[in-house]
Amino acid sequence: MGNKQTIFTAQQLDAYQDCTYFTRKEILRLFYRYRDLAPQLVPLDYTNHPDVKLPYELIGSMPELKDNPFRQRIAEVFSEDGEGNMTLDDFLDMFSVLSEMAPRDLKAYYAFKIYDFNNDDFICKSDLEKTLNKLTRNELTEDEVRMVCEKVIDEADLDNDGRLSLEDFQHMIVRAPDFLR
Amino acid sequence: MVQPAVIATDALPPLPAIIIIYIGTVFHHYNQQNNFAQCYWNWTLQTRATQTSSLETLEIDRRKTHHTNPYAMENPAWHDDRAGQRHPPGGHSGTDDATGRVPGGWQDQSWRGTESIPMDPMSAGAEGPSRQHDLIHSTFQNHPDSHERSSSTQLPSLISGNTTLRWRGVAMRRISLFPNADPSCVELTEEAIRNEMENEEQDLVKELVALSTRERIRAIQDLPMSFGEKKHIRSQVLAFKSSTKSQQFTCFADCSENMSLTFRRCGYSVKSARQTLQLWQGIMKEISGKFGTSVLSYFLFLKWLLMFNIFSFLINFGFITIPLLVYDVSPNVPPNMSFRGLEILTGVGYFNYTVMYYGGYSNETIVGQVEYNMQLAYFFTIAVYMVLCGIVLIFSMAISFKENYVLADAASESAWQLLCSWDFSITSERAVRLRKNNLRVQLKESLSEKTQRTRLTLSVKLKHFGVYLGSWLLSTSLALGCGASIYYLCLYEQQKTTDTENWTLLQEAETLLVPFVVSLMNLVVPLFYSLFNKFEHYSSHRRQIYALVVRNVFLKMSILGVLCYYWMNVVAKKFSCWESMVGQALYRLVIFDFFFLMLGSFFGEFLSNVIGTRLLPRIGVPEFDVARNVLELIYAQTLAWIGIYFSPLLPAIQIIKFFILFYLKKVSLTQNCQPPRRTGRAAQMQTIFIALLFFPFFVGALSMVAYISWSLTPSERCGPFRGLSNSFSVVIVWIHHLEGIPGSQWVIWIYRHVIRSEIFYFIITLIILIIIYIFWQVTRGRKELIALLRQQIVNEGKDKTFLLDKLQNLQKSKPKKPSKQMNQKKHTKHSSGSQSNSSAVAQVLLARQQFEGDEERRDVGGVPVPADISTSSALIQALMARQRAEDLDENVYQKPDNNTSSSSTFAQAMHDRERAKSHGRDDHYTPSGFSENPTNGSSALLQAMQARQRAEQDRGDYAHDLPSSVSGVMQAKQRAEEEDGIQWTAAPSLNPAPPGSSALIQAMLARQQAQNEFDDGY
Repeated sequence: MGNKQTIFTAQQLDAYQDCTYFTRKEILRLFYRYRDLAPQLVPLDYTNHPDVKLPYELIGSMPELKDNPFRQRIAEVFSEDGEGNMTLDDFLDMFSVLSEMAPRDLKAYYAFKIYDFNNDDFICKSDLEKTLNKLTRNELTEDEVRMVCEKVIDEADLDNDGRLSLEDFQHMIVRAPDFLR
Repeated sequence: MVQPAVIATDALPPLPAIIIIYIGTVFHHYNQQNNFAQCYWNWTLQTRATQTSSLETLEIDRRKTHHTNPYAMENPAWHDDRAGQRHPPGGHSGTDDATGRVPGGWQDQSWRGTESIPMDPMSAGAEGPSRQHDLIHSTFQNHPDSHERSSSTQLPSLISGNTTLRWRGVAMRRISLFPNADPSCVELTEEAIRNEMENEEQDLVKELVALSTRERIRAIQDLPMSFGEKKHIRSQVLAFKSSTKSQQFTCFADCSENMSLTFRRCGYSVKSARQTLQLWQGIMKEISGKFGTSVLSYFLFLKWLLMFNIFSFLINFGFITIPLLVYDVSPNVPPNMSFRGLEILTGVGYFNYTVMYYGGYSNETIVGQVEYNMQLAYFFTIAVYMVLCGIVLIFSMAISFKENYVLADAASESAWQLLCSWDFSITSERAVRLRKNNLRVQLKESLSEKTQRTRLTLSVKLKHFGVYLGSWLLSTSLALGCGASIYYLCLYEQQKTTDTENWTLLQEAETLLVPFVVSLMNLVVPLFYSLFNKFEHYSSHRRQIYALVVRNVFLKMSILGVLCYYWMNVVAKKFSCWESMVGQALYRLVIFDFFFLMLGSFFGEFLSNVIGTRLLPRIGVPEFDVARNVLELIYAQTLAWIGIYFSPLLPAIQIIKFFILFYLKKVSLTQNCQPPRRTGRAAQMQTIFIALLFFPFFVGALSMVAYISWSLTPSERCGPFRGLSNSFSVVIVWIHHLEGIPGSQWVIWIYRHVIRSEIFYFIITLIILIIIYIFWQVTRGRKELIALLRQQIVNEGKDKTFLLDKLQNLQKSKPKKPSKQMNQKKHTKHSSGSQSNSSAVAQVLLARQQFEGDEERRDVGGVPVPADISTSSALIQALMARQRAEDLDENVYQKPDNNTSSSSTFAQAMHDRERAKSHGRDDHYTPSGFSENPTNGSSALLQAMQARQRAEQDRGDYAHDLPSSVSGVMQAKQRAEEEDGIQWTAAPSLNPAPPGSSALIQAMLARQQAQNEFDDGY
């Protein structure tokens, strides 16, 4: 424990514990995970808030994300610069939301952002097409993609504006209990 | 001074008007009271009232950059004549300015919560400044670094408790409306947004401060913000808290602060310790990563059952076995009895004399330091355990139903498939590939179903029906046949067994026949069932699974039912110590079930894996069948529940069994299986499994145990209840005994009037029935309400698109005037830009232009404004706002023409007066400007009509006053403003936020009226 304490101050750890769903131990473990991605970049002393960012290539190569079709989106959504380059804070934030302790509302909110590829705060047809292509390895014909997207919007769009707002999405999530279990 | 120049406002797009109004009102308030708090209060007031109209927005990144503050600059330009009230501009610039002022805004609302929309702005404003100061110093100056962060806040999502989703929605919408805002126009809206965001942020902070520590941490964790923002909010909350505390008792506050910190750290370490203690956490992660959530649910279920058994073992062992062992350590084994090894399988012989079975317990009252009545202990332990199990099951079933079933809706199948079915926990590459393939296949299937849903001919239908009927008949008869054959097998076996003490090895081995056959049936018959399933054509996969599950449940129920009948009616009459006999039979069943589970996973999974990979690749690697495996677990647990009366330590066997089974299944899964192709809806399946566990199985076991203890005579020579007519008479005897002890009258009273009284049960049943009926009705009502509300969302979406279409059409129908306006505005924009004179007028015009641009963009895209539940009321308010905007516009519009040279209002006023003649032209336009309003379909409500009338009157005033005096204008303006203030305070209360059906009515009214006026206009 002795040398661990030098990574963060007690106040920092408290802040991390208050703002994420992790315990002190998990935070330290995650810190080491983060550091292992690039030991030469990440200092062992975080008490003076060093400004370190790991590039997306490193983050995306983690086993948790490596095979996820949405890894790039996830990294983009959680990184502060929107390009997938993550600080330790972003990193903890990402794992906190993706952990099982996070409530479904929060996950739904971020899932919406993940599916919203063009960042216009609506899941429109182009977003759905991208999602579909990511999920099916581009093996559906254009016609099929179009039909699926239309069906999705038809089913989930309550206010008839031709795209899914956060409310629409949440309506749908409420009715899909296995979502992000 | 500003003269209300009247300018043609035909075809003014609605949204620009809204922003102008907003700014206008802010300025007016500012003008009147010169009170920041007032300004900001108004902001929140109005923006909340019109959430959807969401005037203000911009790209997120821009918020980080520094911009000049329009309010600070606008101040001298507009209100020079009121110099006495003017704030020194030097004190307000940049971020410092923004953050410095914000507290004034939010302190006004402190402790009133985010929902207090219809609050009186006047009173809020009056007390603003005084409070502003001390609180700013106490909280905000402590954290200079937090200021920077507040200005770089990315998402203004301010939440806590039940307002969470709403705010999230609002925040997203605000940003979304104008994603591509013109950079030159951004300044003002940006400022506005930032202010509003900060306001909301302060509200949030205050809400959080009001919560308890635990809740606050929870709320902070749940905020949909990045870590930096959370930290910022947290530091503000803590600072606020410490500042309020330090004002009171410094020492005490310090102490309590330290205490709470210690407690929190303690809590954290407890939390982390609990996590390390969690069983199989890493394995669970691995499984969910490789096989997804549906397979994981099996293992979670297994773990859950294991916990049941551990609990039951602990209480049985603690309350029944330990006292007996303390009293009498050595089992009363006859001397000629020895342990032969086969007992482990059969459970007879040596075990028969240990505490394993009912027969091993005594009926005495153990007299040590305290008296311990074994009879009572045995009875109450079993009873309490069963009742607790029942309660736990009922609650977990109810919760699971609520979460997974009641709200679930099968209608949105493909939306679900696409957006909700991805299992983010999966991390293995192979599983991801499989999943993608499966999803593709499923989507294709659902598409083909949709496109070519051919009408089935009668003959095909008949054929399907025949197959259903045949397979149901076959499976039912199979189940019944199994039951019958087991019954006859038991009878046959019972004839051979004797009640002797010493069995030969062969005799002992013969007892294994029945459990062997039972377990074999449990293994083989389900295979037949899945074979039938292949021939049937179910329209959906889920129905197929349900059919399979129902058949299996029926099989297991019939087998267990027959066995129970046999035990209660045959064994109980024949053997002298029949409870122990039943206990042995159950022991054998449990053990054999375990062996067959292992065999099942060997043959079912390992062999078919070998066949699938080596011999017949066509078959492929087997899938892990969650449904079948869970049913096996349920069956095993039912055996344990039935056995608890006859063999109190059976849960120990069950614990070992489940523990081994977990690792076995895990190895078998990772070595042999592939993830299931069709995941279905795992959560719903789980609910069904819990329900199954409760309803036929647990209730069956419970009723059997209850029947035995109430009706059957316990054996006379062994066990705790020897010599009694039934087990329950233990209680009667005890009560009888209690009558002699003074001070225990209440127990007797309860026994007489509650437990043994029919009236009590009758009343209880009646009350429960009534409650059930009421809840049923409430549920029905809610369902109707949900349907209505959903319909309302759809209707309001339609209303909104309708109104927007109307407005857009009108705009298009008058193309000339707008273009003229646009030109003028472009001019002003350039001039103001070049002279860096950020007067409010220019800002207003810029904003307006921006909104026009946006409106056009939306026209091109054909995408309407996003919907919200409060759409209609917001629209109405927006339209009202536009009405007033036109007033302001007149004032505002005059300025651009001459603001190029001077920033002093005085000079402007002089210019205005000189140009009074030219107003004739403008006046000419006004009638058209106003008569055009109704045709816009804008004045939707009565309020809007009133506003218009008033506006016209006001303009009349202006027209008279114009040539005469500037002060007159100012007075009129003030008067108008006061009226506006009243109007505004009234408006929100008229349109309360949660609309209910009144919003619907309003929306319909508005629509109708808009239609009427549209017609009138033409």
